[in-house]
Amino acid sequence: MNPTAVISRRREHAGDTKSPSTWRRSALRRAPVTKRGAHQWTRAPRNERSDELAAQVGRRLNGASGTLAASVLFDSGIEHYVGAFHNPAMITPLITAAASLAASLHGVADRRPAAHRFRDTVYAAAALAGCAGTAFHLYNITKRPGGLCWQNLFYAAPVGAPMAMLLSGSLGFLAERVRDTDAHEDPKILGLPAGRTLAAATSAGIAGTVGEAALLHFRGAFQNPLMLAPVTIPPVAAALLGRASLDSSDRARPFTRWWLRLTAALGFLGVGLHVFGVHRQMGGWRNWRQNVMSGPPIPAPPSFTGLAIAGLAALTLLESRGE
Amino acid sequence: MSERYPGYDVLSKRDGPSWNEPTRSAIDARLNVPREPRFFTPQEWRTLQALCDAIFPQDGDVDPVPLAAYVDQKMAENHTDGYRHGALPRQGEAWRRGLSALEAEAGAAHGTGFHDLAAEKREDLIRRMQAGKLEDSGWGGMPPATFFEHRVIPDITHAFYAHPKGWSEIGYGGPASPRGYVRLRIDRRDPWEPAEAKPGDKAAARRKNQRVR
Amino acid sequence: MRQFEEADAVDFVVVGTGAGGAPLIAGLAEAGFSVVGLDAGPFFRPLEDFASDETAQRQVFWTDERIVDGANPIVMGDNNSGKAVGGSTVHFAMVSLRFRPEWFKARTLLGYGADWPIDWQEIWEYYGRAERLLAISGPVTYPWGPPRPAYPYREHQLNGAAEVLARGCEAMGLAWTPTPIATLSAPRGDAHPCVYRGFCRVGCSTNAKQSQLVTSIPRAIRAGAEIRDLAMVGRIEVDEAGRATGVHYLRQGRWRFQRARNVIVAGYAIETPRLLLNSANAQFPEGLANSSGLVGKYLMTQSNQAVFGKMDQEVRSYKAPPSLTVTEHWNYCDEKDFFGGYCWMAQGPLPIEWVNVLTGSKGLWGRALREEMKDYNHQVGLKMVGEMLPDPRNQVTLTDELDQYGLPVPRITYSWGDNDKAMIAHALDQMQMGLEAAGARDVFRQENDTCHLYGTARMGFDPETSVVDADCRSWDIPNLWICDGSIFPTCGGVNPSLTIVALSLRTVDRIKALASRGDL
Repeated sequence: MNPTAVISRRREHAGDTKSPSTWRRSALRRAPVTKRGAHQWTRAPRNERSDELAAQVGRRLNGASGTLAASVLFDSGIEHYVGAFHNPAMITPLITAAASLAASLHGVADRRPAAHRFRDTVYAAAALAGCAGTAFHLYNITKRPGGLCWQNLFYAAPVGAPMAMLLSGSLGFLAERVRDTDAHEDPKILGLPAGRTLAAATSAGIAGTVGEAALLHFRGAFQNPLMLAPVTIPPVAAALLGRASLDSSDRARPFTRWWLRLTAALGFLGVGLHVFGVHRQMGGWRNWRQNVMSGPPIPAPPSFTGLAIAGLAALTLLESRGE
Repeated sequence: MSERYPGYDVLSKRDGPSWNEPTRSAIDARLNVPREPRFFTPQEWRTLQALCDAIFPQDGDVDPVPLAAYVDQKMAENHTDGYRHGALPRQGEAWRRGLSALEAEAGAAHGTGFHDLAAEKREDLIRRMQAGKLEDSGWGGMPPATFFEHRVIPDITHAFYAHPKGWSEIGYGGPASPRGYVRLRIDRRDPWEPAEAKPGDKAAARRKNQRVR
Repeated sequence: MRQFEEADAVDFVVVGTGAGGAPLIAGLAEAGFSVVGLDAGPFFRPLEDFASDETAQRQVFWTDERIVDGANPIVMGDNNSGKAVGGSTVHFAMVSLRFRPEWFKARTLLGYGADWPIDWQEIWEYYGRAERLLAISGPVTYPWGPPRPAYPYREHQLNGAAEVLARGCEAMGLAWTPTPIATLSAPRGDAHPCVYRGFCRVGCSTNAKQSQLVTSIPRAIRAGAEIRDLAMVGRIEVDEAGRATGVHYLRQGRWRFQRARNVIVAGYAIETPRLLLNSANAQFPEGLANSSGLVGKYLMTQSNQAVFGKMDQEVRSYKAPPSLTVTEHWNYCDEKDFFGGYCWMAQGPLPIEWVNVLTGSKGLWGRALREEMKDYNHQVGLKMVGEMLPDPRNQVTLTDELDQYGLPVPRITYSWGDNDKAMIAHALDQMQMGLEAAGARDVFRQENDTCHLYGTARMGFDPETSVVDADCRSWDIPNLWICDGSIFPTCGGVNPSLTIVALSLRTVDRIKALASRGDL
């Protein structure tokens, strides 16, 4: 586990582009940051390095999944409370999101480079629940007057929301696949290179989440210019990740990395702005019993943070492989 | 009478976020309406009370709303409607004339005062007023049916449904500012709205209504 | 707020600060004119002054004595006109619909009523400006009429009553839409979005309602106009040359006189003719601007009949603005055997309004009434806004009776015509079909209600058949203008406020154009 060398990431990549397609000789681990904040990377013995990378990327993905699960847990908790849990199935996302959050916390704490059956089961169930939720929400829309119209897209069960559950489950499931990779192989997901698959999935996830934010901020008539942020910053992240997923080189992508960090920060900034948005409702926080429900959803924006963390993990995988 | 919203009292929300200060002072003043007449004479007052009992019966109610007092207040403070049917004199004069005409009608038909009539006879007289079939000279050209429609009915019934007791009885959420409502759809209720008793589950509604704040 | 001396003639004195007056006050002040706006009512601060209570909020209505007669006397008071800075927009139901274009040429294209001297395409532009001024929350696309830009704010979520309308329409195969409405679905400036408290028709305590009180009036004050509240104008003074010189008004117990180079009357269809008639002098013995004899004539209201029923579920119509869905099908469909059009909307009566419906339409009282009221949360209704045809016998005149200002009480005479009755019958059948198709039972009809006022100083093409020209300028007195519901030659089948605001914005531009070429 001891680092044997410290080199600049960029130089290392430049020197290693032609290496055989085995689990990276240049497997990287994040070391304490230097004074200037630039990351330094350590070279580790082959098997340990690869295990370590698998565990580290896996844990980060567990964290991404957990962030999404927490967002879903609180958001669906509020929204389904507003819906008075009139259908018993509305409790489902609370259970699956709570379980997914628990599994993710377990995963973040677990440094072993191996999948865990409990986590796998929970993640798969969460992903399935996300799919079922989407179907339920679509059904809810179609049975209302007007069917698939703006009114129902705005105010009926939100089509995009259960997708966050699906994303949490999927990212967790991918986390387990990365952890599960044989130490002598490149990480694969369903037979495809893990980094590129993850980048593509995350890109799609960000795009979908942008779609939901765009819909709801359109509903709010973009009354505050800051409401444009989630429909301008994350789409660039999605595009950059999408491009990375198509690119088989393992070159460094500092701009993409930087933009994903911005997207991650936006998730937290969004919470702050939504807290302010609740204050802007009639009666402000004094009238919280109404305004937490009718104001902007405070737990929603961290979805972007979760996805951006997953995107960063995908970049690490991409940069550490040679295909 | 059946209790549709058991345990619901809209006044339990008085100090919560659904009531603002102007509302509290308006309702406080309403609950403290003077119980003695300022506009009507003692004779008119007795007739008016009997009329209120018939138009909006509250016999058996623990704490009846003093409807006649609100009619008197409206006349004494001259709260006008903003329009007056061409066949009616100004509101106070219409009431005075109508009440004395009712006494005259009761005397002519039954040889007794309107307020002394048995309930059925009183109601019968009111039905004839509603149908415009009273013709005593005491009406002085004022059509009884118009008086009934424009004065008797609105002045008395509005008083009940301007009162928190009326709101509680029909399950109305009552004042709502700064806090309004979140759940707008059919069969959805915010926790600060009254719950209706469903057949066989009055207790659940009562529990919910006791939590309304 | 800037203040003007009464003795110094201001460029414009505007009588009335509602949908007709307020945009003019703001627009003219912004154009650099000196403007004083007078209103008989108080200058409310809704956040501090407004209660959540039907009775206490009668403070925003015009409750002064008015006599109503005719075969179908109009209900006034809470139903029609407001007495507050902001006028009736302080308590209007916020429904903001555009006219059907053909209505501006009703006589030529549709064969009834009168033509307007204004082209619909021009008004279409001003509708857009009015919608932006009021930040109308409306649907992304509107199902009827020529294309219009998207509304500035998005439609509101539907309440139960609105959903019932939609279900009924879908069962009947009619289009419906979320109503374009002047209350915010998202914050705007300092204003909070709507909290769905449901007291819209007695005044909005949150300022989500985009009344003139919270839109044009603050702009007017910023631009240097003065708003004088509690100022009841009783007479317009005219000099020997036949030009208006200012207005006499009662404020703080004393009659005063504000000099002005132009007088704009925007008091709505009762107070406007009342003021013009009461300003009669030796030179104009029949009242000002009345050489045609039409001041006070051609009064129109709109049919506001309804059907109500009960749902098995709890609808709780008291929540949210009352008219969140609308169908304008019969405004745009001409396959019917009467003139004019109508729309219908969802309803949300508060308890006193509701007891009025039950007593007025079902004749209930006694125990039967009290029991019936307990179904309040299950009641649901559809209400029409229908075009009544102009008829010179429907009118506003002055009586000998005096009110608290010492001014003659107006008499409002109204009778429905055969066309009006045919439309009402058609609409009641249609609405009943819609309500029953949506699952309501025990359906009954409210057959006697009306709303909105128009026509008593009609706009037209010549001085013989109208009171004002296309610029809202009176034919008889060149510096006397009228801009409110009274100038409508026909009333259409939609609520008036948006059209009044659009006309007011247009009049600002017309006055600016006339001033720039020295024609004031």
